[in-house]
Amino acid sequence: MDRIIEQYFDLGVMFDPDNLDKVLQGFLVTLKLSIVAGILALLWGLLLAVLRQTPGRLSWVVRWPTIAYIDMLRGIPALLTILLVANSLGALAATDAVTGEGGVIPTWLGVPTWLGEPSPFWYGVFAITLTYGAYMAEVYRAGIEAVPGGQMEAARSLGMSYRTSMRHVIVPQAIRKVIPPLLNDYIALMKDTTLVSVIGLLEVVQVGRDIQSETLNSSALMLGAILFVLVTIPLARAVDWLITRQQAQFERGLP
Amino acid sequence: MLLLEGVEKRFGDLQVLAGVDLEVRKGEVVCVIGPSGSGKSTLLRCVNLLEPPEGGRIVLEGTEITAEEFEDGVDFVRRRVGMVFQQFNLFPHKNALENVMLAPRTVLGRSGEESRSRGEELLVRVGLSDKVDEYPERLSGGQQQRVAIARALAMDPHVMLFDEVTSALDPELVKEVLDVMRELAKEGMTMVVVTHEMGFAREVADRVAFMDGGVIVESGRPADVLESPKHERTKRFLGLVLEG
Repeated sequence: MDRIIEQYFDLGVMFDPDNLDKVLQGFLVTLKLSIVAGILALLWGLLLAVLRQTPGRLSWVVRWPTIAYIDMLRGIPALLTILLVANSLGALAATDAVTGEGGVIPTWLGVPTWLGEPSPFWYGVFAITLTYGAYMAEVYRAGIEAVPGGQMEAARSLGMSYRTSMRHVIVPQAIRKVIPPLLNDYIALMKDTTLVSVIGLLEVVQVGRDIQSETLNSSALMLGAILFVLVTIPLARAVDWLITRQQAQFERGLP
Repeated sequence: MLLLEGVEKRFGDLQVLAGVDLEVRKGEVVCVIGPSGSGKSTLLRCVNLLEPPEGGRIVLEGTEITAEEFEDGVDFVRRRVGMVFQQFNLFPHKNALENVMLAPRTVLGRSGEESRSRGEELLVRVGLSDKVDEYPERLSGGQQQRVAIARALAMDPHVMLFDEVTSALDPELVKEVLDVMRELAKEGMTMVVVTHEMGFAREVADRVAFMDGGVIVESGRPADVLESPKHERTKRFLGLVLEG
């Protein structure tokens, strides 16, 4: 029993000032990554959802590629997407060693270091945004479809264009309806940012693994797990609370 | 003002409008009555192109809005024709005043101040001066419908379409909505009213049109159509309605 406790909760390892500092720094990277990628995925997903709903005769030109994109990215494991983005961009930006031909994409995009963050951070942001944008697009779509048809008719009958109606009438209502599932996706996104450790980003899991291989003790990783739970459980409770509130409104027969 | 000639519409195999002719003059109130499924609502929805008609023509203020080459038909119509729905369709995320202000601001580009004062004025006019800041969920059906009327009026329509606007209301709330419509008629608004309120039709309409099977069976002065209908179908319908 003591062995088990020591393996996971060795306070000496956990709170060794050096380790603690590394783990907290790593978790800070995780938080930053999930906030940046989370915001981008929320926006990207909304754009995809709206494009997917484009009406009109020629709308398939927009709709089909959007649907194909959403299906693909939801079908590919996030880990694979991360690996497909990372280093590939760097390679595309690099000068060809044999032919001496310049990169096909600019260096600022191939090896991004914006805001002082290392390129693996931004590769992670791209990949997670691409993947979770697709998931969130489906959530938004459910919200848009849940807005009664009479709303669009009322807006259009007042002379508002399709775009204006979407912007001021449909989308605001759709977002209110899907905040709980979006938050759920956000929790999943946050956990999946740990996959970015495979491309060498020093986030909380990578840091914990380094300490684990040094000490053969899992307490630093466990500390990371505890930090996650401290953030995700309140979020999950918030989702529950929002759902209960919406349910109550629904039962009162309100929109 | 508004002229319909041979308007047709079908949903799949169902011929909903089988050639409707109707003329509405400026300032006139026309009530359209008839059994459910007779095409009354579809007729209104064709007039403001929520349902594009498939045959015939519709002329609004001298412009044929159904003409193929008239691409801005939808905008042209909706700037001139206001519509009120059976289910109110207020925007639930906006309060009464914001519901009224939204279209003038986004479509006509009016300033916030201008559309606010006009919006408040309209809400006073429909008797809701104390509900300006309330959200639809806190309003009764009758109050919601009056906000919906104010919202349509905010776009300064030349014609107002009313699609069974009291059918979803509790009986005691019907009068407050009809009173607003009565007032509007008195002020000279051109109105096409699809309704089951025979009393309202008799009192307010300049003309009553009876629809059945996708056509207007007969139309004329309220007294004539409602009290001494010529057609068998009109008689039968009125018999059923007035008995109840």
